[in-house]
Amino acid sequence: MRQGGSMERRTILKAAGASLAVAGLGATATACGSGSGSGDGTVTIRYSWWGAEDRAQRINKTIALFEKKYPKIKVKTDFQQYADFWKKFNTQASGGNPPDVFQNAIGFLRKYDAKNVLLDLGEQVKAGNLSMDGFRAGLEKFGEVDGKLLGVPVGSNSMALVIDKPVYTRAGVTPEPGWTWDDFDAAMKRIRDRTGRAGDSGMYGVMYLYDLYLRQHGKAFFTEDALGFTEADLTDWWTKAERGVKEGVYADAKKVVQVKPKSAVSAELAGSEFTWDNFTVRYTSEGKSEYGLAPIPTTDGKKTGQYLGSLMLSASKRTQHPKEVAQFIDFMVHDPEVAKIMGYDRGVPATQAQFDAFQPDDEVNKAIAAYETSLVESGVLETITPHPSGADVCEAAFLRIAEEMALGKRSVEDAVKQFFTESKTALAG
Amino acid sequence: MGHAVTHAPATADRAAASEPRHGPARSPRPAALKRRRRRDNLAGYLFMSPWIAGFLLLTAGPMIASLYYAFTDYNLFDAPKWIGLDNFAEMFGDPRWRHSVQVTLWYVVVGTPIKLLAALGVALLLAQKRRGQAFYRAAFYAPSLIGASVSVAIVWKAIFSDDAVVDRTQKLFGVHAGGWTGDPDLIIYSLVALTVWQFGAPMVIFLAGLKQVPRELYEAADVDGAGKLRQFWNITLPMISPVLFFNVLLETIHSFQIFSSAYIVGGGAGGNACGPADGSMVYTCYLYVQGFENSRMGLASAMAWMLLVAVALVTAVLFWSQKRWVHYEEGGR
Repeated sequence: MRQGGSMERRTILKAAGASLAVAGLGATATACGSGSGSGDGTVTIRYSWWGAEDRAQRINKTIALFEKKYPKIKVKTDFQQYADFWKKFNTQASGGNPPDVFQNAIGFLRKYDAKNVLLDLGEQVKAGNLSMDGFRAGLEKFGEVDGKLLGVPVGSNSMALVIDKPVYTRAGVTPEPGWTWDDFDAAMKRIRDRTGRAGDSGMYGVMYLYDLYLRQHGKAFFTEDALGFTEADLTDWWTKAERGVKEGVYADAKKVVQVKPKSAVSAELAGSEFTWDNFTVRYTSEGKSEYGLAPIPTTDGKKTGQYLGSLMLSASKRTQHPKEVAQFIDFMVHDPEVAKIMGYDRGVPATQAQFDAFQPDDEVNKAIAAYETSLVESGVLETITPHPSGADVCEAAFLRIAEEMALGKRSVEDAVKQFFTESKTALAG
Repeated sequence: MGHAVTHAPATADRAAASEPRHGPARSPRPAALKRRRRRDNLAGYLFMSPWIAGFLLLTAGPMIASLYYAFTDYNLFDAPKWIGLDNFAEMFGDPRWRHSVQVTLWYVVVGTPIKLLAALGVALLLAQKRRGQAFYRAAFYAPSLIGASVSVAIVWKAIFSDDAVVDRTQKLFGVHAGGWTGDPDLIIYSLVALTVWQFGAPMVIFLAGLKQVPRELYEAADVDGAGKLRQFWNITLPMISPVLFFNVLLETIHSFQIFSSAYIVGGGAGGNACGPADGSMVYTCYLYVQGFENSRMGLASAMAWMLLVAVALVTAVLFWSQKRWVHYEEGGR
């Protein structure tokens, strides 16, 4: 029977070894799911955003300030480029593990509200953890959807024509407020003829510009749940674009594609580009020239259709620390020191206190401040309704299909049809 | 089972040798043997359990789930909605999907043969004894070790851009086509070049196959006055046809699954992830776009299963065709 006994022991040893291995596996699994609070009352919140390295460095400095003031709150950070950010966020959110607080934009409010991802920060405002006072130009309303406060603006920006100043000077073009699309077309031709450079980088694919053009005609890119324009409208817009590409008024799409993520303006492919006014900061660091801001062309000599856009901070509905998250957002939008660190990186600060705290001393930032102030004072600004769910997919399709058209891979008719087909699917989902 | 049977006598012998006090050696009774075997199996399975758990949780489970999702409308957030074959119907009606199939087929049909020809050609050169042989083999093999990496794809993108190495070289020859990565029609060839560059892996397999060809066949052919070309055609090729078949099969399946290099070479920050005008939008790229950019996991699952079916069909056709061109030596060497 001793023989049997020794067998037994060996089996037990084997089994023990194996179950240890299994237990190890289990332990790793539990370790991954551990919570974010610890014994001494310190709370960790996760914060993620999109942007370049430069933004990350600034944000990390502001977080250090925050942690000094709130020693019981630790902030864990994560950032990607725009497109990668949303893919990662979408995956995390669907898995029930989104960051506690994150950068957000107007195109995503309804989308993630419908998916039950966004926290209504209104409760935290009532509880006194977050103040919505002191915002400029009515921005406190910007992140509201159906009475819920889903995002708090950190900065405002507006569409502008970002220009390569020496190129415009050489061509003898000086855009004035109220200039019309005809003036603009003539200017683009003049730049091409006098400097040998394309006038514009590819305005036909910029959703936010076409939105302005439509607003000048009493329409808009999006309604609350659909597209706000017809196939005939888009056919006109892209027919004009196709001609411009052929004539060399707009930059060669093949080249524009290759210099990405650099912009066509800083890569010296085009003299100007319709984009957000705060992008001049980026272009200045990317390119060798001097960059400035010009007004949006109009249809009737007055109306530009512009509104203030804004990056926001939103909180996740699943966060276990809504109070700390609210305190964090409050600090980031009101603290004057934060404004001094961030500058106009995310647009002109949204609150008056932060706006006053940062006084730019360089040409580029001064120009941005002047541009936005003039917009607010001239009273041209409209309000914007939050985009419908699926708007982000429509925007990407708009850019992509316009590019295909510019590359000569699609006729205008075909491009318009394809865009409406894809948009219908995206807005239904 | 075979394992237990062959080893049982040895264990019994060892037990008998080490414990002579227990009288004459005897085999354990069948019942005891059975019990012991069961215990051994249990231990074996327990040891395997981390792998089994991994397989079930990370491979089998998700596969079965994706088969289900393929018939649903699923956006990751809301519960999947059963829609039958709608995903498949949408797929076939979608011009972008058809375009991605076209791009992939083009990539497979152009890239795979060139890659295999290069592999075979270099293998033939390296099969003969020459100085520095080991160095050449290592040098040609190296790209296939690193070729699938992200960093190489990034370098590749740089090489084929405007005014980079390739563009400047082609200008020397009077070709002004510009960078390939910005051209909807040319970008796919930069990917073909990338896969061909990695011919080292099939080359090593060809080399092994060439070593197996008996020398006396060539000697006999020499005596009969057959030239080099004829020897290659009538001896080498038939003799290595099983290896050739293996390489064709492997490379074809592999090519259908191309993703990371296409995604990186074709993608810039923002805009389109699949090259200019979808020029490098291989099948898996579009699958990724639908699943992760457009949040249409049901459709993406259906696309994944469609790819599986297509690859299985191609594999079946290859296996069927081998009767006609692959020669197996009976009792092989």
